[in-house]
Amino acid sequence: METIVGICQLPWWQLTAMGLLGLSAGGVIAAGVFAFLAIIGVFPRLMGKTGTKRILLYETLIILGGILGNVSDLYEIPIRIGGNVVLGIFGMASGIFVGCLVMSLAETLKALPVINRRIRLAVGLQYVILSVALGKLVGSLVYFVKGMCV
Amino acid sequence: MSSKTNTVYLNLSEITEVHEKDVFVKDVATVYCSDTNIRNKCECVKVKHITGERCECYVESALDVIEKLEAVDPSVSVTNIGKVEYIIDYQPPMRPRYLWQWVKTLFVCVICFCGAAFAIMTFNNDANVRDVFQELYWLITGEEAQGTTILELTYSIGLALGIVVFFNHFAKWKLSTDPTPLEVEMRLYEDNISKTLIQNDGRKEQGIDIQ
Repeated sequence: METIVGICQLPWWQLTAMGLLGLSAGGVIAAGVFAFLAIIGVFPRLMGKTGTKRILLYETLIILGGILGNVSDLYEIPIRIGGNVVLGIFGMASGIFVGCLVMSLAETLKALPVINRRIRLAVGLQYVILSVALGKLVGSLVYFVKGMCV
Repeated sequence: MSSKTNTVYLNLSEITEVHEKDVFVKDVATVYCSDTNIRNKCECVKVKHITGERCECYVESALDVIEKLEAVDPSVSVTNIGKVEYIIDYQPPMRPRYLWQWVKTLFVCVICFCGAAFAIMTFNNDANVRDVFQELYWLITGEEAQGTTILELTYSIGLALGIVVFFNHFAKWKLSTDPTPLEVEMRLYEDNISKTLIQNDGRKEQGIDIQ
């Protein structure tokens, strides 16, 4: 409500300038962030792994998630449904997503084969990957439990 | 032996999903020959009999297919215009489990939704979008911003527009007939999978290799 009151009090040229700024900022950020998500290869991997190919549906969900997530983040709209269940689902899903994301990043995906060749690792690549996953788990727990986040 | 040669053009697809144990040429390739009789005969040549019961990918060589085709008729000469190595992806016939499929789809949907929401929230926090907007507001109006401003409003609209333009569609409504970015990525991913399968098959005998 206060947004609309605030808007009416400003001169038109300031409104136009800020309107354009906001619109173009949103457009560019959307292209940047979502192009990154699309080409990093998380979604194709999820689709490939589960063998489900409803690409249009998934894209619609990504679009909805992006829009609603942004709106609720900026406007701090309270949702107040489901409590811990919804929080748990959201945490788990974004955890899986970030897990896929960090392993898709070039630093891990491209570094592992190099290390493999350097030390001539012949067997046990699966244990290396398991160790990476466990390390991420422990690191994440330590980060949150020890309060390293300010 | 007849002196006339019938050129058979063979176009193998890179990867074919089959459900039957007997795989014929017509399943994995398109064949052209000016002589319809020869063409029909070629299409019905069996290229492989699958013995295993499990889902498995078999990497096959076009050379074997050419050999079998040339054995059909002495006049046949095969020209391969498709892949040199191709994959038969055998999936045993079973009744489709729709419930399980939908459960998996729901799972991916939840991850897509929450992941996208999470990603844009972390970006907004990371880049301090809020503070930048306060600064911009001050720059333009010369006053401190009270709560949310027009910047947040148009940013949200712009973001929505940007995402829809980037993905080229919303639900069933499409902006243009181009494939969407995820469709492109999915094809690239599948291509890479096929390539890796073929390359793995070619270098099985090396001592130190990825396992």
